[in-house]
Amino acid sequence: MIKFKINDQQVQAQPGWTVLETARQHGINIPTLCYHEAVEPSGACRLCVVELREGDWSKVVISCMYPVAEGLNVYTDSQRVKNVRRWILEMLLAECPASKEIQALAAEYGVGSTRFAVHNPEEQCILCGLCSRVCAQVVGANAISTVGRGVHKQIGAPYMIPTDKCVACGCCVTVCPTGAMRSRFDAVRGVPKVVLAHGAR
Amino acid sequence: MDNGNGCKIGVFLCECGRRIAPLVDLKGLEQKLAQDPAVSYVATLPFACLTPGLSNLRQAVAANGLDRLLVAGCEARILLKKFEGELLSAGLDEGQVDMVNLRDHVAQVSDLSPEDKAAKGFKLIQAAVAGLAALTPTVREKVEFKGPVMVLGGGIATYSAAQELSRRGIESVLAVATDEWEDEIRMLHEHYPGERHYYDRLKEIMKEVDASPYIRRITVGELTGLTGRTGSYQATFSDPTGGPPRVHEVSAVIACLDGQMLNQGSNFGHDGRNVICHTEAEEMMWTLGVPEGKVLFWINDYEAGHPEYAYLSSRAAWSMARYMRSHSPRTQVTIFYNHNMSIPLSTGERAASRQLGITWVPYDGSLRPTVQTGYVTYCDPVSHLECEMPWDKLILSPRRSVGHEALKVAQVLGLEHVEGHFLEQHKQRVRPEMVGRAETILAGSARYPCDLHESLRQGRRAAAGVAEIAATAARGELYAPRMVCVVDASKCIGCGLCKEICDCGGIEPVEGPGGNIPRHVDPMVCTGGGTCAAACPYHALTQQNNTTAQREARVAALARGLAADEVLAFGCAWGGLAAADNAGVKGLKYDPRLYMLRVSCIGQLDPSVMARAFLEGAGGLLLIGCPPEDCHHSYGLDHTWSRVNLLKKLLALCGFDRRRIALAHADLNEPEEYIRTAEAFVSQVAALGPIERTPDNLEKLRGLYSTVNNARVRWVLGASLRRPWEDVYPGNQRNALIFDRDFMGVLSEEFIRARVANLLSSEHRPFQLSELAAALKEDEAPVMESLREMVGEGLIGRMHKDGVAHYVLRS
Ligand code: SF4
Ligand code: SF4
Ligand code: SF4
Ligand code: SF4
Ligand code: FES
Repeated sequence: MIKFKINDQQVQAQPGWTVLETARQHGINIPTLCYHEAVEPSGACRLCVVELREGDWSKVVISCMYPVAEGLNVYTDSQRVKNVRRWILEMLLAECPASKEIQALAAEYGVGSTRFAVHNPEEQCILCGLCSRVCAQVVGANAISTVGRGVHKQIGAPYMIPTDKCVACGCCVTVCPTGAMRSRFDAVRGVPKVVLAHGAR
Repeated sequence: MDNGNGCKIGVFLCECGRRIAPLVDLKGLEQKLAQDPAVSYVATLPFACLTPGLSNLRQAVAANGLDRLLVAGCEARILLKKFEGELLSAGLDEGQVDMVNLRDHVAQVSDLSPEDKAAKGFKLIQAAVAGLAALTPTVREKVEFKGPVMVLGGGIATYSAAQELSRRGIESVLAVATDEWEDEIRMLHEHYPGERHYYDRLKEIMKEVDASPYIRRITVGELTGLTGRTGSYQATFSDPTGGPPRVHEVSAVIACLDGQMLNQGSNFGHDGRNVICHTEAEEMMWTLGVPEGKVLFWINDYEAGHPEYAYLSSRAAWSMARYMRSHSPRTQVTIFYNHNMSIPLSTGERAASRQLGITWVPYDGSLRPTVQTGYVTYCDPVSHLECEMPWDKLILSPRRSVGHEALKVAQVLGLEHVEGHFLEQHKQRVRPEMVGRAETILAGSARYPCDLHESLRQGRRAAAGVAEIAATAARGELYAPRMVCVVDASKCIGCGLCKEICDCGGIEPVEGPGGNIPRHVDPMVCTGGGTCAAACPYHALTQQNNTTAQREARVAALARGLAADEVLAFGCAWGGLAAADNAGVKGLKYDPRLYMLRVSCIGQLDPSVMARAFLEGAGGLLLIGCPPEDCHHSYGLDHTWSRVNLLKKLLALCGFDRRRIALAHADLNEPEEYIRTAEAFVSQVAALGPIERTPDNLEKLRGLYSTVNNARVRWVLGASLRRPWEDVYPGNQRNALIFDRDFMGVLSEEFIRARVANLLSSEHRPFQLSELAAALKEDEAPVMESLREMVGEGLIGRMHKDGVAHYVLRS
């Protein structure tokens, strides 16, 4: 049994739990985006940050992957945490300005606009990779991943051609936190069709 | 507490942060469940699915001896697998854990009060609990591999498949028609023309196969039979020397089948001498050498109706052209192609083509070129001038087909063949884990037209797939999926209906070619669609761990609890259910009077499940599957159409409104559309009002339920189900009116018979005709008709009392 504190409240955990899991078990809310209960955490969005304090020293860690330890002093809503979250949300607003989900979340933290450059006003995807993790770990289909590099990085099937690995289960759409997968779903599932000839065009 | 079924069910309610807890009165729900005798244990957890929650589940299972578990949380599509995995070590196998989507089907989607949402959740949970209670879990079935892998069919991919198996250390038997490999190469152009550049590589493969200690080569005649299932097959061949047939015991089979090249018809001027096809050109070069003069390859696949093969044909033409030019510099070679296609050469090949002096001439594809003696006239795509292209030999693209030989083998292997198509199997779009043996066992150009390279690659792929499961089996770790169909051999009469409508290819006669032999199912091939089980006239076929009995228990429990204006629905995991899940995720609000139950394919729903819903009190039943033609399990959706049609007719015979049952389609990516569907149906049923539970109505509903379980009715229905090789939706297949009239005739007869039998069996006393007719509120004539038949069949006894005939059911 590991004992530590979250927001000055004494909590108990077992070895192997994460800070996020312990907080949730105790009814303490921490916002997340790239986290989903069905897959391994990946730490991509950093929205779930919390502050660890020890005396006058403190650091910010991502709670979805941070393992519990005896005597931790965790703050989930401190000023520093709020600042980091606002900063992340501002970046996300620039990255995927079209996502209603992100706009709503940002508004909750009082972020209404972004100082970062917007590359694509239509973009909804934050490249959290949740869709491809669900596809690999839950469905077992491995149909989608991030393709392209740098600013051209996006989520889709290889070569952005509908893939016959995709079984059209829609799990990716269900878990996508921003609604982005919905609009690219047809480019992944395609229409079921019979292969006609190798290399036919 | 024990629920009378001898099993102990635990129910866990999720708070899921704020996504369920404040919206649903979980405390009240928990209390209600605690009083339900069917539930042995109930608890509310902050997050059932996180590490703390999961250890809570395991502890509760161990401490209370639970053997079934239900999580009332979110999407089974996404989280059930995690729960199953985590609870395996606690002794609960797949099928013993279930989920109800309290969050996205209840908490998030309406403005009901927390108490009303708890009441709705309670009914859905009760239904799931009833389904779990009706489960008879099977033991895990281990699949063993006995004997070597057999590579047969005589296609060229035989060699690459055997090579791959040997490289992976798997023993194989190579069943070939001839020992002479030189012969095989000599005749290869009949299936793969224009591939000479590949022969050296092919010879290397053949040498390797020859030298491998893992490969035993046998010379066989025709394949005449294949029985058994994955892991243990008996392959029977005729003896080429005329002896008795020989049987080989093998663990797996890889079939390598080459397609056949046919010549073009006279509309392209084909004469077999000067106007020839690829195979004839190759044959000519083997025997007479390269022709001199002007050789013209016309890639006429567009004009022959198969533009998709133009690529293959032009590659073969290019390869032959290259051979001709390098062996006979005096031959002039031109490749003549439709301008809608691009030249299929790489940059290097283009240079080689130029160097060899091969000309590529495009023609305007909108005008069909015409063959004349010594010329082909065509329209130039750039200048639009009509031109003439001279030739001494005109070589046309071949026509491609599966071929007679390959077809014969395919038939023995039980592969369905659709006229005009190749053997590529329609792939069920299901999760890899749902199929025991995902890899296809078929390789070669009979599967789909391809070149030699691709054919050999297919052989390697098939071999790699087989090798992988063979290795898993060798480690003792190969288990059949749990939710597959099984046949009860004591009930199966061998009618063969299930095999006809199944397109997994998993159902075969236990032995021999069929007839009245019981069927069995290869659990490694079955994808668990279950429409076959729902079709069996005798209920001989069931889907284990996910049975019709369980679904009946679920609808019964739910239907009993529904209010007059509430509606029961089934949603399939790929369509309706997923759309409902997504509506919840988006927080869309809609009419809460719809209660959805989960099925993995809408085709799993036996008509008896539908009938049971009405019998137990439902006023409306909505079945929401995938969009038309998008069913993930063969034609489960179309089969449901036919079954719903059956129910509509029977509802009408009962005097109820046909609109009480409907099939609907939902695209999981369009939750708003799904909501429109749901609301339209709910208000339609609400407008009809409930089916009054009067004795007369109940009598009719019992008759309806018996009728859908009647073997004759199920047979006629089965005959009307869409077969996997049929291209059109059922409504289009046959003379609609004639079939419908016959079907209706059978239904009215059997409906009365069922009601007569029900009445006689419930009352245990002799009845006169007039009494029967009065009780059933039917005319005497049809009642008399069914009595006469049933007396004739020995089902009913007739006796005379005071000179009046009385009827009594025979026990
Ligand atoms: S589509 Fe959605 S789930 Fe996938 S990476 Fe983008 S935001 Fe994440
Ligand atoms: S719909 Fe296709 S891409 Fe999405 S999770 Fe399912 S298989 Fe993967
Ligand atoms: S199982 Fe689903 S509903 Fe339950 S806590 Fe996990 S995510 Fe939430
Ligand atoms: S449909 Fe039923 S009775 Fe007919 S062969 Fe299949 S299992 Fe046997
Ligand atoms: S939720 Fe933890 S990093 Fe995204």
